Amino acid sequence: MCRLCVAALLLLAAASCSLDVKLHDDEDEDEDAMFQTPGGDVRVRVSGRALVPGVRAQDWIASARVLLDGDKHVGFLRDDGSFTVSDVPSGSYVLEISSPTYRFQPVRVDITTTGKMRARVVNYIKTSEVIRLPYPLQMRCIGLHSYFIPRETWGWSDFLMNPMVLMMVLPLLIILLLPKVFNPSDPEMRREMEQSMNMLNSNQELPDVSELMTKFFSSPKSHGKAGGGARGHRGGAPSARGGASRRKMKD
Amino acid sequence: MAWLVVRLAISVSLLYAASAVFEDQVGKFDWRQQFIGKVRFALFDTHSQASKKLLVATDKNVFASLNSRTGDLFWRHVDKTGPEGHIDALLMYGQDAVVVVGNGRLLRSWETTVGGLKWETVLDTGSFQAAALVGVQDLVKYVAVLKKSAISLHDLSSGSQIWGENLPDSDSVQYQTIYSGENGLVFVLGIVPNSHIVIVEYKIEDGEIMNKKSVEAAWMSSLESSCAVVSSGILLCVDQITQSLYTLPLQSAEQTEMRQIHLQMLDLEVASGFRPVLTSTQPNPAQPPLSEFFLQLSPDHHILLQFKDGLIALLRDFSPSYLAAFATSGERTVAAVMSPKNDTACSINLFSADTGRKHLDTTIIYHMDPNGGKPNRLYVHAFLKKDDSVGYRVMVQTEDLTLTFLQQPGRVVWMREEALADVVTMEMVDLPFTGTQAELEGEFGKKAAIQDGLLPMVLKRLSSQFILLQAWLAHLWKLFYDARKPRSSVKHEVTIDILSRDEFNLQKMMLMVTASGKLFGIDSKSGTILWKQYLENIQPNSVFKLIVQRTTAHFPHPPQCTLLIKNKDTGLGSLYVFNPIFGKKSQISVPTLPRPVLQTLLLPVIDQDYAKVLLLIDDQYKVTAFPSTKNVLQQLQDTASSIFFYLVDSSQGKLSGFRLRKDLSTELIWEVVIPTEVQKIVAVKGKRANEHVHSQGRVMGDRSVLYKYLNPNLLAVITESTDTHQERSFVGIFLIDGVTGRIVHEAVQRKARGPVHFVHSENWVVYVYWNSKFRRNEFSVLELFEGAELYNSTVFSSLDRPHAPQVLQQSYIFPAPINTLEATLTEKGITSRHLLVGLPSGNILSLPKMFLDPRRPELVSEQSREENLIPYAPEMPIREEWFINYNQTVSRVRGIYTAPSGLESTCLVVAYGLDIYQTRVFPSKQFDVLKDDYDYILISSVLFGLFFATMISKRLAEVKLLNRAWR
Repeated sequence: MCRLCVAALLLLAAASCSLDVKLHDDEDEDEDAMFQTPGGDVRVRVSGRALVPGVRAQDWIASARVLLDGDKHVGFLRDDGSFTVSDVPSGSYVLEISSPTYRFQPVRVDITTTGKMRARVVNYIKTSEVIRLPYPLQMRCIGLHSYFIPRETWGWSDFLMNPMVLMMVLPLLIILLLPKVFNPSDPEMRREMEQSMNMLNSNQELPDVSELMTKFFSSPKSHGKAGGGARGHRGGAPSARGGASRRKMKD
Repeated sequence: MAWLVVRLAISVSLLYAASAVFEDQVGKFDWRQQFIGKVRFALFDTHSQASKKLLVATDKNVFASLNSRTGDLFWRHVDKTGPEGHIDALLMYGQDAVVVVGNGRLLRSWETTVGGLKWETVLDTGSFQAAALVGVQDLVKYVAVLKKSAISLHDLSSGSQIWGENLPDSDSVQYQTIYSGENGLVFVLGIVPNSHIVIVEYKIEDGEIMNKKSVEAAWMSSLESSCAVVSSGILLCVDQITQSLYTLPLQSAEQTEMRQIHLQMLDLEVASGFRPVLTSTQPNPAQPPLSEFFLQLSPDHHILLQFKDGLIALLRDFSPSYLAAFATSGERTVAAVMSPKNDTACSINLFSADTGRKHLDTTIIYHMDPNGGKPNRLYVHAFLKKDDSVGYRVMVQTEDLTLTFLQQPGRVVWMREEALADVVTMEMVDLPFTGTQAELEGEFGKKAAIQDGLLPMVLKRLSSQFILLQAWLAHLWKLFYDARKPRSSVKHEVTIDILSRDEFNLQKMMLMVTASGKLFGIDSKSGTILWKQYLENIQPNSVFKLIVQRTTAHFPHPPQCTLLIKNKDTGLGSLYVFNPIFGKKSQISVPTLPRPVLQTLLLPVIDQDYAKVLLLIDDQYKVTAFPSTKNVLQQLQDTASSIFFYLVDSSQGKLSGFRLRKDLSTELIWEVVIPTEVQKIVAVKGKRANEHVHSQGRVMGDRSVLYKYLNPNLLAVITESTDTHQERSFVGIFLIDGVTGRIVHEAVQRKARGPVHFVHSENWVVYVYWNSKFRRNEFSVLELFEGAELYNSTVFSSLDRPHAPQVLQQSYIFPAPINTLEATLTEKGITSRHLLVGLPSGNILSLPKMFLDPRRPELVSEQSREENLIPYAPEMPIREEWFINYNQTVSRVRGIYTAPSGLESTCLVVAYGLDIYQTRVFPSKQFDVLKDDYDYILISSVLFGLFFATMISKRLAEVKLLNRAWR
């Protein structure tokens, strides 16, 4: 009977402070949210609040859930965005808010066997690293899910800047415009040209153009440039992106 | 060198863009259907007349709000699985719904319009018995929850506990029901079976026990099933042995005995062996129940009775009647009764509850599905019409979990097939050719060619070509006709008759087997249910195995599927053979299986009717063949020495291999024992039979080839340690040759535990486990290679493989929990593979296999770059672009099925769980078809432009030449 009363008091207290959680200290909340089952294991209540700035809670809470370690424990959101996941045994959990529209950063919640709780940043690689986060949890939306990739659009500038097009257009211009600039029928000009041609041919020491190109491309610095350049406008953007994420992976 | 970099750039860009969805593709070839499961509680929102809400709580721990006009979901809350999320009770008052969850562990209140949680309270432990709304002076303010040994009262607006009391003598008395009338008291009724009833009165304000009494009732064994409270606090019980009703006023202090009323006095009799059921109704929790109630005497006999002044009056006798239910609108309560009309239809009629008079023109005809089950629940939504008469709609739930919502005079407003919330296994079958296509096929049949001469063949040819032309013209006409109509009016009705295989075989028939024993044939393109078949008498704990014995490729033989239904406890099985396109049961005689079936084996051997042979191995290692014609038996005798199979006995940790003998008995060849004291076998998987591997090896950076170890008989066996301590638990994997029993490879993941999900394909095994030390999921990949040269490149034989394969392994961190894992599958296996990972959030991640390559180098070298190997990174990336189902999340995804299509680039994917989602994935992009956004206009305008440019320049050149000639 007495135990029951205490439980009832605890319940009341927990309910009242969940309404205004910010006023309480971390430790206080831990004590209030704790329950002892007859088996002796601790069951706690993980609570917090999720916010999507600029969106009314009614518009997104119905399709969102609070998940602890997959769907081992499930909590639901109230219409002010606050949530509690009840009846959680001690352990370490990753809490995430799953919503098909909005994205939230997951949080790791540690619960000791005495029912003390702390929240920290999820780090799967250095699992023992502790960067504490405030508890009760403050989950802020970090944007919309970006499920789609944009279609490649076709524009004149893309078309004109395409190296293939450039390669075709420039010689065409040269063929068309050169005769206008200097008259080949002019004997003086012709002589000059012949001279320069002879000079080019006679000089055998000069490196071959193709060789020059291979050397140029094989130097490691120019990789990205060569790849992007030869792939043309379509491959340009994705390859740059790919490069960026590859760098990320190396980290 | 430069071209290499370019290639790398291309492949990396491909990789990142691959299998992402473009926004304009939404809904183009994918669909999702959402389900809720078997309805346990359903309440119509009668708060306002215009309300369309229908609140349901189901056995799948789902609490949802349906639109009663369309059957669509307003919102749905999926709680955790298992008993902890089980919904015990659903109560509704006004805009709020109160739900008791997890055997009375949680009390939740929901705001029903938005679907937001109002409050949640944790209750004390103790098994849940009953819950009721408690009203004070016409206002419902509290909810009372009765546990095995305690009762508590909670405020409806905040959930806070008003009081909680332990029940007196709770170890001897079983408290089962709770009742609250109008007089500020809560009655708790308990029973000592076959002895007496205990009634405890609590004061609502503070939980003080006002009165406690016990009443003799030696005949009673359970309160819940045989009693109800009617009128102003009269407990009414029924007993089939004494054939009588008993009444007791709950509040009166003087009456200490139940008053017996013989049913004979009313000329009634309970059918023998039937437990009579009492149904009363309490429209407003703040007021006492009505004095009218239903008494069910036999499965098809209901009676409407009235309790008045201590007497029971018969209002109406409904015989025969299947179901009866009360409904209230405003002040008027009606009763709807479903009675059989003829063999295929039932009629539902409305009666006024207080008189039993039939309302005129209120008949709803309910047509029963001949392939479905019987109706077993009736939910009635009554409403007041403008002329103040009572109108109603009904929702009927059948044994096969179909929800049908009907309105007068029998129009089906909507229908939901809730059996699909629990799909157990599925297959995809190619659609058949159309009549004309089949005609053409038939022309090339062998028999025809022999019988006919040359001339008839030519004529036949011409006629079939003519038919094709005709069909094409008809198709064109239809296209033209449809194009003229506005888009919305074109109805895309899909029926079996018009279904035929499309050009690329992208549209298939999905066969789904559900746990309730209902089979579905679903069109994969639109998700329309084309046929359904309910198999009656399926045990709830049956396991199913679906086998496609003959595909649609063997016209005129119909395709044939076999479903093996096996009782989990006894192991006894039965076969159900059907046509997967039409859902019709086949007339083929099926072998009876008198002994438990241990293993099934589908052989590539076909009988004269092109059906693959299915072998069933029983617990005495005897083999039954199906079909078992002479032809088949002859073939089996010839090939018996090369037919091997394996059996798994996880309770003894034993894997054993057998060979078939000529007389269809078997001989044991090998046995592998994995000691059960240390570890237990949790799963065994071979490779998929319809999988093709295109390339035999991988080209390395130095131009040598690393050949894959492609053993079709390889089994992957996953074990888990019996010791579950965090430090000592482990997950083991054995790769065992299924023919010789040789352990090809063995690996152990320490400090790991299940659940393990894994995929075994080509020359690799990918498995996921939980790393209990670092508390994260980890992927591990095993790849097997033969080395730089193949031992026998023409054929693989398990018996002759002297060299052990080289095994490479690498592990990665996966930063999310996992529900299920599957790999994509394509026609020829040229397309790169992706892993499809079902996440608990409902998303399906398409993870390139390239990231799970044990040859990923830690240090990038020239060679690894040439091979397009991604440098090793411990953490696996999860990109949102890889979610193939964008925001169409699949709740509780339990399985993913992949099937190849006619296009090499395309793999068909079906994810099932609580929901079903179908889509197509293109792991290496759509390289064999033009892209969706292919710019036809640009290409044609360029072509025309060039054409005209040449014409004009030609003309100009001519003019110029002419002018020059004149000069």
